[in-house]
Amino acid sequence: MKPAAFDYLAADSLDAAAAALSRAGGDGKVLAGGQSLMPMLNFRLVRPSILIDINRIPGLAYIEATDNAVRVGALTRHHAIETSPVVKAHLPVLTAAMQHVAHLAIRNRGTIGGSLSHADPAAELPMMALLLDARIAIQSYGGRRTEQARDFFVGSLATSLGEDEIVTDVEFPRLAPGTGWAFEEVARRSGDFALAAVGVTISVRDGKADQVRIGMMGVGETPLRAPQAEALLSGRTVDGALLDEAVASVRSVVEPNSDLHASGEYRRHLVGVLARRAIETAWRRAIGDLQ
Amino acid sequence: MTEVPGQTAADLALDDRQTRPKNIGARIKRTEDPRLLTGRGTYVDDRQARGMLHVAFRRSDHAHARILSIDAAAARAVPGVAAVLTAGDLADDAVPVHAVSRMANYYATPIRALASDKVRFVGEPVVAVVAESRYVAEDACELIEIGYDPLPVVVDPEAAVRADAPLLHEEAGTNILVQREFKRGDFEAEMFAAPVRVKGRFRFHRKTPTAMENRSYLAEYDGGRDELVLHSSTQVPGIIRNALSEALGMPGHRLRVIAPEVGGGFGGKASLYPEELVVALAARKLGRPVKWTSDRMEDLTATSHGFDETIDAEMGLDHEGRVMALTADVIGDVGAYSIYPWTCALEPVQVVSFLPGPYRIQNYRGTVRAVATCKAPTGPYRGVGRPISTFVTERLLDMAAHRIGIDPRDIRLKNFIQDHEFPYRIGSGIVWDRSSFTDCLEAACKAVDYDALRRRQAEARAAGRWFGVGIASYAELTGIGSRISVAPGMPLNTGTETARIRIDTTGGITAAFGIASHGQGLETTLAQVVADKLGVRVEDVRIIQGDSAAVPNPTGTYASRSTVLASGAATLAARTLRAKVFKAAAHLLDASADDLVAEDGRIYVPHTNKSTTFKDVARAVYLEMGRLPGEAREELEAAGTYDPVLGTTTSASHVAVLDIDPATYAIRLEKFVVAEDCGRLINPLIVDGQVHGGVAQGIGAALYEEVVYDDDGQILTASLVDYVVPAASEIPPMQVVHMQTTSPAIGGFRGMGEGGTIGAPAAIANAVSDALAPLGIEIDELPVTPERLFRLIQAARSRTGDQE
Repeated sequence: MKPAAFDYLAADSLDAAAAALSRAGGDGKVLAGGQSLMPMLNFRLVRPSILIDINRIPGLAYIEATDNAVRVGALTRHHAIETSPVVKAHLPVLTAAMQHVAHLAIRNRGTIGGSLSHADPAAELPMMALLLDARIAIQSYGGRRTEQARDFFVGSLATSLGEDEIVTDVEFPRLAPGTGWAFEEVARRSGDFALAAVGVTISVRDGKADQVRIGMMGVGETPLRAPQAEALLSGRTVDGALLDEAVASVRSVVEPNSDLHASGEYRRHLVGVLARRAIETAWRRAIGDLQ
Repeated sequence: MTEVPGQTAADLALDDRQTRPKNIGARIKRTEDPRLLTGRGTYVDDRQARGMLHVAFRRSDHAHARILSIDAAAARAVPGVAAVLTAGDLADDAVPVHAVSRMANYYATPIRALASDKVRFVGEPVVAVVAESRYVAEDACELIEIGYDPLPVVVDPEAAVRADAPLLHEEAGTNILVQREFKRGDFEAEMFAAPVRVKGRFRFHRKTPTAMENRSYLAEYDGGRDELVLHSSTQVPGIIRNALSEALGMPGHRLRVIAPEVGGGFGGKASLYPEELVVALAARKLGRPVKWTSDRMEDLTATSHGFDETIDAEMGLDHEGRVMALTADVIGDVGAYSIYPWTCALEPVQVVSFLPGPYRIQNYRGTVRAVATCKAPTGPYRGVGRPISTFVTERLLDMAAHRIGIDPRDIRLKNFIQDHEFPYRIGSGIVWDRSSFTDCLEAACKAVDYDALRRRQAEARAAGRWFGVGIASYAELTGIGSRISVAPGMPLNTGTETARIRIDTTGGITAAFGIASHGQGLETTLAQVVADKLGVRVEDVRIIQGDSAAVPNPTGTYASRSTVLASGAATLAARTLRAKVFKAAAHLLDASADDLVAEDGRIYVPHTNKSTTFKDVARAVYLEMGRLPGEAREELEAAGTYDPVLGTTTSASHVAVLDIDPATYAIRLEKFVVAEDCGRLINPLIVDGQVHGGVAQGIGAALYEEVVYDDDGQILTASLVDYVVPAASEIPPMQVVHMQTTSPAIGGFRGMGEGGTIGAPAAIANAVSDALAPLGIEIDELPVTPERLFRLIQAARSRTGDQE
């Protein structure tokens, strides 16, 4: 289990990395934390002509609060996000989700840019980006652009990234103070890819649910939002009957695949259970019933 | 208790008088650990040799196919490739080996270095590329063109036994590689007469051992001397030496197999592998050192798998819950070959051998068929057969208890063989010596506060929660001696063990054994025994093991044998050596040997100032001529060979406590208690560790691990993403209670390395069934994955109309 031969470049700037990627003409791969790429190389599932290592590029690993957002550099390790007081203060749902990302050794190496670019439909960070309406900044040899998370994930392990583009940073709009949130996941083992997971944020206006966001993962080709259920909850008081409706709505919109670990049917069941729990918890947090 | 040679009252009295034992029974930290935990252990893959070549295998991607052609021209042309070897290339270099046995109705499949004519499972080695690096070897592997003629694939063992099934081994005339039957008593009449009958079809899926260290082999051939040394990550260097001797046609004194640090085995490194033959053959053929280290995908696809049985079983009981009869028909899916040297009978035959368990079940019939399929061969896996037999019998007992309306604890207490009945021959013919069946269960229930758990369960059920408690009791044969070892008819005696202890001119003490520790801490355990029996300190003793050259009949470490047999041998050898040392010391001290005591390396006459040391005695014997008369200058070396003849009976009761999320169906293990009787403990720290590790592996078997092949014989669990092994976060707090009824073996020890894996699956299956009793769910298939639980609960709810 050794990779096929490849060239290697330790880039010292984003420009150099983007130039090399462009020169590779679709045959290059960017190495950040390597937690998915290295096994794929060893299995010879990917055979890049060149590996462009961005780990030595300065200024790509940071977490900073701006006036209305939290910006996270692409090379920021999962563990840094998990333990960041800035994230905890402004995006507590992200802090909660990060505890489910693999194991500590992997969190010490894996990066947010890598996770988003890899776009595993059962990984936490893509789902969090979608849930929190993140904006993803992208650089290519020709220039820079940004993309909303909802447009970024286009399929299983597929993104809108061009073959010469690199994710540089991710901007998460802050959650308004008092926003209720919850993250619920079921995996076979602690740290495994989710069989299903649900993240929810809810605000309260005049005693009613407002700005409801429901994100799901492990139940489709990409991380998903549940717009019907979000609409269903908006402007209403969350109670048992409404939860039943939301659960039914969530279950009706997903088309989960079957694999060795769970059937689509079980995943559909799970996503409903987790949605119920997450909505209820987020609601209770939003109305001040739960810290 | 009858007196056993080496363990007579006189022997023990002499030991007591002449030494001051302080190590046996002490919680001594493992002497291996400083080097292992600081990365200074040397495993096979850590070894480098000048000019070393690396092997990569082109493996079959067909489950069953005839090999029509192999075109390796392009691979041979890759710069850095030293050789590309096929079965044809090695035809004159080796003969196939066979796991022979005198069992009736048994076919021994030939085992070759590389597949010739046919491939029989996905992952079977077909071509070996030997190159300057593993990278080059893998590059070249991709260029090999193999022409296959696909044959019908056999994956279902029940289909494989049909008359029209395609055959894996045409010469055998059948896919049933062995079948056996055990009968005792009038099981038919008793079953018919039994007022309570419970039965089921039980399924225990295929597992793979997943040792932390993948298999690795390095062969070095000295052409000038025609000598071959194989460094192998094996549990059985002696057995591999014997196999190489047969295959390569070399006598044992020119072959040496060394197992250095070995990172776990669990049975997966206890057999001969084709890759081992290839590495040895390639080194001899090319005259250069050759290494192969398995990657994880190769480990999951081509290391021997374990278990994989379907059991139709029925138990008949009277109204009070006393078992009247037990019958079982077992089909074992043993994969493509009969593994060397154990044969494919090992695993499934043990299932029928141990089904009656620790219970008074005199009317018994067990049949077993070992069936070849297009999958990796099965071999020994920690527990061998007994995790399955225990699962079936313990499930049936719980089902019966439920039916009759008595507590699962009480039905076991009612059926246990009682202390006054030992030795007791069970329905399959196995004889149990005295062991704490009843005491273990009572101790486990006390430790877990069983009655309080039942009260908690009542409250949980009232609140709609699923909370379960599961018991499993079992007995196993460990430290088996020659009479049991030869029973399966293999030309192989694993029932004796030799120790050679020597004191050199510097006073250094070296004890050599034929065993091969691969994580059990045997260097520590055996040093404790030698130290106590000689009267020296643990750190004064160096243990040699894992080397086929250490003793004349080296074997290895498996079957919970090493501590019992090697400690017995060490005791015998140490007594002889102590007598030689005392003879010389008596002269030096002008005292009678009978008055001497050895303690911490010092030899003295109590209540006097007469004293010397082992070191000084060695100097006087070997170097400082004139201090001792000739007759007192015997070479300070002694050998002892021990054979416990039958073996020792280890028993335990496990209790699992868990709850199940009534919506996600996630199982959370809350606590696990083991009360076990492995006789006298040598090192409680190590014993506890073995129990913890075994239970963790049993939890894997119960809830997580399953090798999956699809209908085409493709293996779907070829990475650790898909083959799910529990990690520390999946293991609950454990409590271990020790009974310590001394065994008849020398030292009173029993083997205990496997038990955790034997009891845990059954205990968890019973606990899950217990938690789901309100839904009437009986677990009959392991592992209980979330998906299986989902299906069972959905089905039960649609039966009862119950909603989540």
